[in-house]
Amino acid sequence: MGKKNLVMNNPLRILGLEKKVQDKDASMGLVMSRPGLGKTAILVQIALDSMLWGDKVLHVSIGESFDKTRAWYDDILALMGSTEKADSFQTTVAEILPNRMIMTFKETGFSPIKLEERLGDLVQQNIYKPVCLIIDGYDFQAGTHKDLEEFKAFMVRNGVKMIWFSATTHREDERKSAAGVPAPCHEIDDLFDAVLMIAPKDDAVDLKILKCNGCSVDAGTSLILDPSTMLIQKA
Amino acid sequence: MSVDLSNVRNIGISAHIDSGKTTLTERILFYTDRIHAIHDVRGKDGVGAKMDSMELERERGITIQSAATYCNWKGKDINIIDTPGHVDFTIEVERALRVLDGAVLVLCSVGGVQSQSITVNRQMTRYKVPRIAFINKCDRTGANPERVTAQLQEKLGLNAHMVQIPIGLENDLVGVIDLVAMKALYFDGDNGEVVREDVIPAELQDQAQTKREALLEAVSMFSDELMEVMLEEGDIHPDLIKDAIRKGTLALEFTPVFVGSAYKNKAVQPMLDGVDAYLPCPTDVVNMALDLNNEEKEFPVSNDPADPLVMLAFKLEDGRYGQLTYVRTYQGKVTKGDTVFNSRTGKKVKIGRLCRMHSDEMEDIEFCGSGDIVALFGVDCASGDTFTSGEISCSMSSMHIPEPVISLAIIPVDNKAQINMSKALNRFTKEDPTFKTFVDHETSETIISGMGELHLEVYVERMKREYNAEVTVGAPQVAYRETITARAEFNYTHKKQTGGSGQFGRVAGYMEPLEEGEYEFVDSIVGGVIPREFISSCDKGFQKSLVKGALCGSVVTGVRCVINDGAYHNVDSSDVAFQLAAIGAFKDGYMKAKPVIMEPIMKVSVEGPTEFQGSIMGSINQRRGMIIGTMEEGQYTVVEADVPLSEMFGYSTILRSLTQGKAEFTMEFSAFKQVPKLVNDELIKKYQSERKNG
Repeated sequence: MGKKNLVMNNPLRILGLEKKVQDKDASMGLVMSRPGLGKTAILVQIALDSMLWGDKVLHVSIGESFDKTRAWYDDILALMGSTEKADSFQTTVAEILPNRMIMTFKETGFSPIKLEERLGDLVQQNIYKPVCLIIDGYDFQAGTHKDLEEFKAFMVRNGVKMIWFSATTHREDERKSAAGVPAPCHEIDDLFDAVLMIAPKDDAVDLKILKCNGCSVDAGTSLILDPSTMLIQKA
Repeated sequence: MSVDLSNVRNIGISAHIDSGKTTLTERILFYTDRIHAIHDVRGKDGVGAKMDSMELERERGITIQSAATYCNWKGKDINIIDTPGHVDFTIEVERALRVLDGAVLVLCSVGGVQSQSITVNRQMTRYKVPRIAFINKCDRTGANPERVTAQLQEKLGLNAHMVQIPIGLENDLVGVIDLVAMKALYFDGDNGEVVREDVIPAELQDQAQTKREALLEAVSMFSDELMEVMLEEGDIHPDLIKDAIRKGTLALEFTPVFVGSAYKNKAVQPMLDGVDAYLPCPTDVVNMALDLNNEEKEFPVSNDPADPLVMLAFKLEDGRYGQLTYVRTYQGKVTKGDTVFNSRTGKKVKIGRLCRMHSDEMEDIEFCGSGDIVALFGVDCASGDTFTSGEISCSMSSMHIPEPVISLAIIPVDNKAQINMSKALNRFTKEDPTFKTFVDHETSETIISGMGELHLEVYVERMKREYNAEVTVGAPQVAYRETITARAEFNYTHKKQTGGSGQFGRVAGYMEPLEEGEYEFVDSIVGGVIPREFISSCDKGFQKSLVKGALCGSVVTGVRCVINDGAYHNVDSSDVAFQLAAIGAFKDGYMKAKPVIMEPIMKVSVEGPTEFQGSIMGSINQRRGMIIGTMEEGQYTVVEADVPLSEMFGYSTILRSLTQGKAEFTMEFSAFKQVPKLVNDELIKKYQSERKNG
């Protein structure tokens, strides 16, 4: 491929967000949308981007099965690979997959403490040391500002450079922060360096950048994504 | 046998090992009057369950070969394939699922969804087999069918809902409540053969109502009529619910869950009613065939007995009276004495004898029609062959056959054993495509290879028992492979002049990696520099070279050999000379083609208490394993990993000691991958030293 194409069409590349992982400070990102618009697909793209750069990713899926989570990667990779030369694409995939680990929790069984405990098992035995965490399905209705701060401290303790969360918005809840970040994250948006919002747009998907500290594009910019792969749509 | 296909059910019974599949089948046969006494799997009466016809199966209490039988339940003809639970016998499960229209997924009410249930479910999904679930062993201590139903939803991703709830659990299990008809069912008589309907016990009324509401909510999406009645809060007729469940099940979007205890003769009959009500008949399922006259374009088979015959051989067995071939008819019909065509070989085959199988017994029949599963006698074919009436040329899509991953050297103890061993191996390799055998010419040992230690162990045992072939067995070896990674030229002249007629042949060309397939020979000779009659000799020579690679003595795969030049001698060139020239040419090119060693990687799933997750992951990591992920399920965690097979010998002992015996694991073949440099060097060193020491 393929690596080059994958990298260039990734939304993160346009935003210049890949530098975040190299930053000294731990940063947190957030992908928001109403249910079923593709938060997980965007998170998978973000994970794939890190994996392509050789960074270890831990994909934490809350309330979703292991097979379903893995299927997201398989499906997106299959779609991306369908236009590429099979051999080199397969080689790329084989190269990057060791950079991914999936951890699933039940909704009731997840807490930052538990996650740190599990991560400790991996890091202390030198099995896997992720620099990027994807946390899909975290309950922001229940999580407080303090809980989120705890994640920041956790990142520092464990050498994690970036965590990307997903959050579900609801049409009927119109609360928003000054930066335009909708509920349920409107009161904690200060903790996030990047907040992306997905909105459907005709045959494509609109990715609005609500907030992005240190990005190469300004807040308010929108990217048009291919709804099947969540890559930047080709003209 | 009725001709109306809506009265036919072809079903499989699959599950994790020791979930009670065979016991369940035994009860089904009893209640459908196929047998007149019940025998236990590991019965003290020494008879054993009907479906475990092999002596070894009865002794070990596991099913090794899938057995076929049929029965009639309330006017429905049910063909049943009982399949093995152990992952080493996966091919039996795969073959059964390929030809079945529906399946019963049996689960243990204590063990719940276990690793093999996941494998079996995945296979059912692959072959789009609608399924019902039967949570067995509800009489056992710790039985929790609700937890198992939740696991069906969470672990298998099935939209599973109970259509029954138990009346009592463990020792107190007395019957079940049918949530569709809202009736209590009890099973009276010595063997639970009398089904007695009664009102729901008062103390279970609320629970039954709640569960029924959940069921209705889940299935209402499959029936507008049901949804309307629900919205109008009218009386819901059970047939309306059954219809919705059937629609959901056939669409693979719903899994009705039955509960009971086959061993205690509880609730097997309602499960049979479920097979009838919710599983598809042959016409409900679309099966595709490949049109061999039209670039293998897929087309659906018609199921119409009046159409030309399409029949798939899915299992071979070498029995007392010759080869027995299990077939499934997809369209048309076949009558005793008919001549059919084998699509693969193009040969005509006469059907001398048709039988309906009842485990190891058979019943002669005159004809079989579309949708039937029967056995043919004395038909020479391979597993997976398609038979047609000759008017059409088609093949049913091929079956997925995994590669063997483990091998074992076997040495017969005496001459008699040697002869018997050959007979046995000949039969086993024909019956089981995952079991392979060859002779290592360097050590003169016979090597058998298969899907796991148990797989091979069973065949060695069968050799002894069924063929009186006593063999000594070497340590299990990983079936490594060699392959090349670059293109390389070869040019070799074989010349021998040592009295008598000489030998001469020159072979030149190149070898290159082959992306798909094991070996390809390309003849690009022009101008007759190698005469036509010796081209096949070159091919033979290359094929002989593939048997043992130069790196570690393993089979070489993924090679394309192209010959484009050569030379011959009018007198001294011969078949042997060109074979030897090709062997020399292969040697010449092989090491230049950057060969590598590949090893089988297993998909390993370890399940144990969460407190041991760290130790489990550590043990996998020490075995060169790559952890793919972890799943936390309350107190239990499942760790999924890819681990080289060579590192998995003895793992069960290690895992037991690490987790106080509380964790278990299963593994199945995933892929062949290149070994790391260190292992590569070790294997080469070991092979060289073995060769040196003879």
